[in-house]
Amino acid sequence: MTTPLELDDIQGLVTRGYRTLTSACFLVLAATGPAVAARTALGRLVPRVTNGLAEPSDTAVDVALTSDGLRRLGLETYGLDGFPYEFVSGMTDPDRSRFLGDVGENAPRHWQWGGPAGPPVHVLVMLYARDGQRLQQLETEARQDVLAGGAFTETVRLGTTELSGREPFGFRDGISQPLVEGLSKAGAGGDQVVRAGEFVLGYPNEYGLLTDRPLLPPRYDPVGVLPRAPEGGADFGRNGSYLVFRQLRQDVEAFREYLDVQTRRPDGSSDPAAQEALAARMVGRWPGGAPLVRAPRYDDPALATDNDFGYFTTDPDGLRCPLGAHIRRANPRDSLDPRPGSADSVAVGRRHRLLRRGRPYGPDATGDGPGARGLHFVGLNANISRQFEFIQHTWLDNPNFNGLHDGPDPLVAPRLDHRATFTEQGRPVRTRRLGLPQFVTVQGGAYFFLPGLRALHYLCTAAPAGGQP
Amino acid sequence: MPYQTAVTVRAALPPDRVAEVRELLGEAGRKGTAGELFPFAEVPGIHFARVVLVPEGPGGAAAGMPPSVVYMGEVDGPVEAHLADLVRTAGDGLDRVFGHCAGYPAGGSPAAARIDWLRSHCLPCAAYYVNTVGRGRQQIEQEALLREAIEEFLDRNGADLAATSPAEIRAAVQEYVRGRADLAWACTGSAPPPLGWRIRQVAHLAGVPLAGLVLLPFGVIALPVWAVLLRRHERRDVPDRARPGHDRIRELAGCEDFVAQNPFTAVGSVKAGPFRRITLTTVLFVVDYGVRHVFNRGNLAGVKTIHFARWLFVDGKQRVIFASNYDGSLESYMDDFIDKVAWGLNAVFSNGQGYPRVRWLVLDGARDEQAFKNYLRCHQVPTQVWYSAYDTSTTRNLDTNARIRAGLFGRLGPAETEAWLALF
Repeated sequence: MTTPLELDDIQGLVTRGYRTLTSACFLVLAATGPAVAARTALGRLVPRVTNGLAEPSDTAVDVALTSDGLRRLGLETYGLDGFPYEFVSGMTDPDRSRFLGDVGENAPRHWQWGGPAGPPVHVLVMLYARDGQRLQQLETEARQDVLAGGAFTETVRLGTTELSGREPFGFRDGISQPLVEGLSKAGAGGDQVVRAGEFVLGYPNEYGLLTDRPLLPPRYDPVGVLPRAPEGGADFGRNGSYLVFRQLRQDVEAFREYLDVQTRRPDGSSDPAAQEALAARMVGRWPGGAPLVRAPRYDDPALATDNDFGYFTTDPDGLRCPLGAHIRRANPRDSLDPRPGSADSVAVGRRHRLLRRGRPYGPDATGDGPGARGLHFVGLNANISRQFEFIQHTWLDNPNFNGLHDGPDPLVAPRLDHRATFTEQGRPVRTRRLGLPQFVTVQGGAYFFLPGLRALHYLCTAAPAGGQP
Repeated sequence: MPYQTAVTVRAALPPDRVAEVRELLGEAGRKGTAGELFPFAEVPGIHFARVVLVPEGPGGAAAGMPPSVVYMGEVDGPVEAHLADLVRTAGDGLDRVFGHCAGYPAGGSPAAARIDWLRSHCLPCAAYYVNTVGRGRQQIEQEALLREAIEEFLDRNGADLAATSPAEIRAAVQEYVRGRADLAWACTGSAPPPLGWRIRQVAHLAGVPLAGLVLLPFGVIALPVWAVLLRRHERRDVPDRARPGHDRIRELAGCEDFVAQNPFTAVGSVKAGPFRRITLTTVLFVVDYGVRHVFNRGNLAGVKTIHFARWLFVDGKQRVIFASNYDGSLESYMDDFIDKVAWGLNAVFSNGQGYPRVRWLVLDGARDEQAFKNYLRCHQVPTQVWYSAYDTSTTRNLDTNARIRAGLFGRLGPAETEAWLALF
C-alpha cells in the first residue's frame, strides 16, 4: 500500500530537479557564532525554503546541514545518535575516504572545500532561479538573511553553468532516474518504481520497513512541532533525506586527448567518429543519449532519452555495451544476481538507487582553477551506506565488477594503485586498453541531511538550546 | 590438488593480559607493516589467515566463557603439516601472542613442543564452507599467471588475430603456452586430491543419509514435538534492538576495505537451554553436509562471493564463532545475506541470543534489514590481524581463471571455443 507523501513538508529538491530553473548556485556556510545566533540566522532563511507541492516558477531554495552543522545548532546531545554512522562520521573520515576511493589525488587534503585543512562545513544553501538575474537577486537576499549578524561565514560559493542537459564530457546526463512511489511520474507503476522510503525518511523502503532515523524523546518537543513516529518519539527525520554532495572536476582535455590518441588512424590523423564511438563505449550511451544496447553502431536521436531497457536478454556478454561501461555499473538493471534477467534481479537493484540532482559547473564558476569544469554531484537517498556508498564502492570503483580484472569505471573511478584496464568485449576476442588515466577528481564534498520543513523549523526555533529540555 | 583445511587454534587468555594482546595484535595488523610478526606470506599453502581476540562471554571465565585468542587459517593439506610450517615461519609471533596463555612452552622449547601445544588447542569446525573444494593456492597462483600471460599474448597479437577464426586463435594461444617453459604445467589438468581424502568424502556423502535412514522412525516422531517446542521458544525470544555504537563501528571499519576481500569474525551466545543447543547442533550438521557435498562449487545457496566460511562451537557449546572471507564490502555481504540466503542465516543464527525475530526457524529474521545489520555489527569482532594470499582476486576471478585453464587444451566445439575466448 502506498503511503501518501507529505509534499508540503518535504523539500522541493526531493520531488523535482528544477529543470526549468536553469541558473543555480550553492553556498557552503560555516557557523562562527553561538548556536542561538546561528539558529536565528538560519531561521530567517527557512520561510524561503521550497516545499515539494508545486513546481516553482521563478526561484527555489533548499537547505541542508552536515552532522557538524546540526551539532552547532544545538542538536548534539540527544539527536545525533539516531543518525547513521556514515553521516555522523562524515565523508572525510579516513575509513570513509578509503571506502569511497578518496585517496591519492582524490584525498580530502587536496580538496578545495570540505577537507581537513579548510574551514568546517555546516550548512548548504541551494539557490535556483529561472535566469541569472533572478539568481543574483535571490542570492543577495539569502545572504542577507543568513550572513547578516555574523553567525555564519561563507566558506565557498559553488557556481553552476546554465543547465543544458549535457555534462562537461559532452554527454546528455540525468536520463535515468528512479521513479519514486507516490510522485506523479510513478503513476504508471511497473518494476522501475522505487518505494518512497528509499529517498524520504518516514515511509516504507524496499524492504517494506522504516529506515532508522533520529527520534527524539517527546519532552524535547513539548509544543509538538515535529510529527510523532509510530515507534514513539518526536520524529526529526520524517520527510528528510540524506544529500550526498561531491564536487567532481572533469578533466575534459585529458579525456579528449586520450580518445584521440587511442583512435588515430594508421597515418596518424585523428578520427572523430572513432573517438566518439570509444567515448560512447566507456559511457554506455552515445553523447546524444541513445543507449548502446539499443543503438550499438551509431547515435540514434530517436533513442535520446530511452531508459526502458535491460542487459540480460539483449547483451549479457557486453558485445554491444561493454561490461565495464559507466551506465552498466551505476545501474546494472536486470544483470544482478540472483537470476539475472528476472524480476528478482531488478528488485535487488532497486535497493541501490539514487535521486540525482547534480548540476554542471565551470569554467570560472568556482575557485577550482580558471578553466576547470565538472559536476556538482548531488545524490539523495535514505540510507547512505546501502545506496550512495554501495554504488560508489561495489559498482563504480570496484575493479572486479561484472567479473572484470583491474577494471574500475573507465570514466569516473579513481585509479588508485590498480592497473586500470578498459575491456571492450568482442568477437572473436576482446580489446583491452591498459593504463587508463584518471579523468575525474574529487574537489570537495560532504554528507548533508536535507530535513523536512517542520524539522527545519524545529531546529531553528523550537529545539531546546544547548541540548537541554 | 590438495584439499583445504580449516585450522583453528584457540586458547583462553588471562583477563589481565587482554589489553596487552589487543595492543600487540593492533600493532601486528597495522597495514604497511608487511606482516613482520606474522609473515603468513611465507607459509606455504595458506589461503587466508587471521588472529583475533575473542572477548569473554557474559559471566566471563567463571561461567566458562573466558576471553581467548584465536588463530584461524584456511590452508592446503593436513593440520599437522600446517602447524609445523607455522611454527617454523611465524614462531616469534606465536610466542608473543600465545605466550600469555597457560601452558604455552617456555622460550627455548623445541619446535615440537610448540606444535604439540597448538595441536592440543585446535578446535574442530561444526561446519566449514570452501568456495571450490580442491582448488589449492598454488593452482590459484598458476592460473592467474596463465590468464595474464594469455591476455598479454592477445594484446600483442590482437590486430592480426581479429581476422582469424576462434579455433585458429585458440590454436595460436595453445602454441604460445606450449612454448613457455614456465607454463608447462598448464598442458595437463589439475591433479585430484589424495585418495584417502576422497574415500572419506564419499563415505561421508553416503554414510550420513544411511544413518539418517536408520534414524528416520525416531525423526518422524520427534519432528512434530520439535516443531511445537520451536514455536514456543520463538514466541518467547527477545530480539535485541541495540544499535552498535559509533565507536564500535569505527573500530570494526578500521580493519575493513583495504583489498578485494574482507574478513568477517563474529561471536555470539547460544540461547540458554538444551533445545536451542540441540537444534543448532543439528542445523550445523546439515549445513556441513550441504557445503561438503552440494554447495562445493562456488555457490553457497545463491551467494557466490564467499571464499571460506566456518562455524565452531566454543565454551562447551555456550557460544559460536563464525568466521569468513568474502569479496567486497560488509554492506554488500550483508545485503547478499538478506536478499539471497536469509532463510539459511535464520536457521543458524536464530539460535543465538538477540537475533531478530524468526518464525519456523527460517522465516523473517534477516529480512528485518536494519535489525539484522545491527545484530551482525554488535556481534562482530575486529579482525586485527588478517592475511589474504590473493588479495586482488574475487571468487569470480578465480573461477574465470580456472575455466581458462580447463578449456585451454582438449576438444571444444565452435560454440565452446567462442565461449572460451569470451573468458578474457
